[in-house]
Amino acid sequence: MKSHSEILVPPHSEHLWRYTPWKRMHPTEPHDVPVSRQMSITGAELIPTDLPPSEEISRSLLHEMSKGEELVIANECMTIDIKASGHITASSLKVVAKGHTQLMIRLVGEAGWIGLRIHGEVLSGGSLSVGFVNQLTSDSIFLRSEDWVVHRDARIEHATLSGGGLTCKSDVRVNLVDKGAECAVAAAVYGSEKRHDDHHFEIHHASPNTNSTLISHAACDDSSRSIGTGMLTIDEQCHQSEANQVFRNLLLSEKARAESIPELEVLADDVKAGHGAASAPVNSSQIHYLMSRGMNREEAVGVIAEGFLIDAFREIRNKDVIAFLRDELTLHLQCLVI
Amino acid sequence: MADIVLEINDLHVSVDDVEIIQGLNITINKGEIHAIMGRNGSGKSTLANVLMGHPDYKVTSGSIIYQGNSLLEMEVYERARSGIFLSFQYPSVIPGVQVGTFLRKSINSIKGEHAPSAREFRKLLSEKMVMLDMNKSFLSRYVNDGFSGGEKKRLEILQLLLLEPSLIILDETDSGLDIDALRVVSEGINSVLEYSACLVITHYQRLLDYVKPDHVHAMIGGCFVKSGGPELAHKLEANGYDWLEPKTEVKT
Repeated sequence: MKSHSEILVPPHSEHLWRYTPWKRMHPTEPHDVPVSRQMSITGAELIPTDLPPSEEISRSLLHEMSKGEELVIANECMTIDIKASGHITASSLKVVAKGHTQLMIRLVGEAGWIGLRIHGEVLSGGSLSVGFVNQLTSDSIFLRSEDWVVHRDARIEHATLSGGGLTCKSDVRVNLVDKGAECAVAAAVYGSEKRHDDHHFEIHHASPNTNSTLISHAACDDSSRSIGTGMLTIDEQCHQSEANQVFRNLLLSEKARAESIPELEVLADDVKAGHGAASAPVNSSQIHYLMSRGMNREEAVGVIAEGFLIDAFREIRNKDVIAFLRDELTLHLQCLVI
Repeated sequence: MADIVLEINDLHVSVDDVEIIQGLNITINKGEIHAIMGRNGSGKSTLANVLMGHPDYKVTSGSIIYQGNSLLEMEVYERARSGIFLSFQYPSVIPGVQVGTFLRKSINSIKGEHAPSAREFRKLLSEKMVMLDMNKSFLSRYVNDGFSGGEKKRLEILQLLLLEPSLIILDETDSGLDIDALRVVSEGINSVLEYSACLVITHYQRLLDYVKPDHVHAMIGGCFVKSGGPELAHKLEANGYDWLEPKTEVKT
């Protein structure tokens, strides 16, 4: 296994780093492994552990920068708060989910650079619903890498609400390794001022009879920018699988930008797979309808944008996760208004 | 003197430079129900949209006076806050916004400082939903998202009951409703009519069997070609609109 300093800096042409180059996300200089502070994680008992090494550049950096900690959840609902403080801070978390579980993760803090790596597993027959909220202060740089392995007849629901930080790069990968494994991945991204948020998703169907959905909604205001890239792979032998990915962007100002690039690689014949992407300003009929119910234009646009983001979670079955994300979103938008 | 709620004088309206309404006049007093009937494309829904201030419709001349003020000077939300309510023919879908949240925001926007408290609102909402035979699970659904035609119309009328407007415009509220739903919805409408003026736009007599109009207007080519009492609605239902078309003389 190569060390981080031995890994080549990915070229601009590489799918994952096309819109947010590695150089922009590195806390110092490429190949450097800076000294970092461990983030404070509260709300759960963590055990020191090692996460698997990786030759993917961001995982490799986070692996060398931080100490691994393990969180085992069994048939319970858990909320953890991750606090990022200091100049450069990073954490690596291993999650093992047994039975039917839910995990809310709230990331807060004012650190200049934040790195978070999560490596998780949902064991056979189990389910895990994850609600992840990025509430970092407005000038942070945030690098996040997540890998989830879903076993036989297990399901993961993974929902992200991203509204914090100045420059954010998330790379979330789900591997459906056994028959009957399912995932519903969702992301709601809110951009304001000069925020830059790049989400990359990879869903890999490595076994027959596996299902996945990916919905990503980004509402971009001011001169913010959102990027959503998806890579959906269905291996050759993975018949009777079903996969769908949708990216939608709502442009709230003329200077806001949003790019979505869904990609499919389907090697099996007997599967259903679809993808789509759309960007548009706020629908004038929706604005008129809400204004006819007494809301002024600004209020109407706010209601539509908030609803648009919540709608990204329509495939998430866990009502507690949706309620958690809805409350966090309302709070976030209220803070922006103030 | 009658208490005039709405007065429209010589109204002309265009959409994309095509004149849809061509010199329309009407006065509606408090407590009156006016029904407008006409073929598809005659301008009925255009009138409803103009009254609610839809930006796609351009008033080229004429005036609309609502409770003594020029309606054309008012923003859409100001019209709503001053007591105008349009029950849309095709209400918009607002994904991600729960019906309960939407209703609360609407009532707060329209009633301002006179809005009911959270507790009063829940009680009021519960009463009105019972009246319309609506299940509480409705409140957690997203506004009009995946609703049947009948569900959309019930939600429109639920808003009407909560917002208690002074001018009600019903744009083909009967479409998409089965007979039982039509009765339930009509009872809801009738419950708020006492202190309001109402403009009912419809293709059929069947809604008017329940919501009984004082005046009926036949609309052709963007203006009223005949006005009368409730009997005019029956005549239109029986004979259609051909008899109202201007006759063309054929010279031999």
